Amino acid sequence: MIFLQFPELYWGKVGFQGHPAVFRLSDWGLSWEQADALGDRRWGRNYHYLFAWVFAFNGIAYLGWNVWQKKFYKKMFPKREEFQLSNIKTDIQNHLQFKKPPGKTARSYNFLQKISYLIVLFILFPFMFITGFAQMPAFTAILPELIDMFGGRQTARTLHVVCTLLLVLFLIVHIIEVFIAGAGNQIRSMITGKYAVSTETNE
Amino acid sequence: MKKTKPKTLSRRQLISRAGALGGILLTGCESDIYTPPTIRGGLMGVADVLTMASQRYLMSDQALVQEHAISEITKNFPVWNQSNPEDEEYQRLRRGGFAEWQLPIKGLVNQPISLSLEDLKGFPQQTQITSHICEQGWSAIAQWTGAPLLKVLEAAGGVKPEARYVVIDAYGGWYEGYDMFDVVHPQTILAYGMNGKDLPQGNGAPIRLRVERHCGYKQLKFIKSIQVVSSMEGFGRGTGGLNSDFDFHWYAGA
Repeated sequence: MIFLQFPELYWGKVGFQGHPAVFRLSDWGLSWEQADALGDRRWGRNYHYLFAWVFAFNGIAYLGWNVWQKKFYKKMFPKREEFQLSNIKTDIQNHLQFKKPPGKTARSYNFLQKISYLIVLFILFPFMFITGFAQMPAFTAILPELIDMFGGRQTARTLHVVCTLLLVLFLIVHIIEVFIAGAGNQIRSMITGKYAVSTETNE
Repeated sequence: MKKTKPKTLSRRQLISRAGALGGILLTGCESDIYTPPTIRGGLMGVADVLTMASQRYLMSDQALVQEHAISEITKNFPVWNQSNPEDEEYQRLRRGGFAEWQLPIKGLVNQPISLSLEDLKGFPQQTQITSHICEQGWSAIAQWTGAPLLKVLEAAGGVKPEARYVVIDAYGGWYEGYDMFDVVHPQTILAYGMNGKDLPQGNGAPIRLRVERHCGYKQLKFIKSIQVVSSMEGFGRGTGGLNSDFDFHWYAGA
């Protein structure tokens, strides 16, 4: 909604209508007026900050709990043997064929899951905050290095939007995969902690 | 590319600056600077206060914002929103080259005064090359020259102890309130010059405010009068400015 109020992206320190842009929504068939009518920047912005705080507190609680329980170490960091090419290959093959993980292995994350969760948690999420801070006049007064880091406020804004799209993409893929793996079972396990495992019969 | 390490005022300088105003208190524990004039209901208000309080706490050393090199100044700085207020008095003053423009400093000051454009140019000059950051997403760089708001209030004898906000009225109906945390910042200026020339019409002639730690909508153009008050009640909806009357955050640090 906020982006729709100013549907152009730039690179560097400055950017405004008429300045060379790296992305223009108007080039993709949606004019400024049409985009403007779709968004509401007052409430768009208000909710943006409200949910940034929800995100922050939620994130701190999640990180704190998992660090305390050593869950990142146990469940998310790939073990040495998982880095073997053959293992990665099998994972990718299973993945592309939409194969459900067999038996008890379904209880733990596979290599691809681990890597993508780690990227989202420790790269994309913090990156959202950093690129957000680098756009704020107050924050850049506190830490001007934030702008220098990206080479400009507009670069930070562009990366903020790109990062948002990556997270949305992750969310969509994630939800699709939950359905493939069996949504009922997955959601029950989130709430109760119990996950049904198909028992393999000896054939 | 010039790399400027922002200068920071020492605590001693801060206190002496505040003292010169005779009334402005700015120790970090003053709760006023952490909350807007009115707090919105529900979770939105909680988020507003969290944002403002955390940023203000981190800014309590009143560090200056980053300045840019002359070569980085934006050639065709955008003209946004009002470019020429439809106001009879304003149009009359504009035709006269603002020679008759007068800026009253009134309210809770010890000696209310009125300043002409020439008077303002007689104040210690502050020049800064900074980014103008619009909440919509655009930003551009310009050099601004003007009189520090703090010095102007000092010229009016300083503020009374109950003073809490400085309300600036503009031609065209805009008004905006600022708290003392922003007033004492050395880069808060009443700008009459832009890029070495008189402030152009579209950018707020004859003077506009620069409060560098806020988004563009706090940088009021076409300034008409300044008054010091103890409360924002009675101005518009009482939220502290026309922008916040329209449901924008009053605090625009972002």
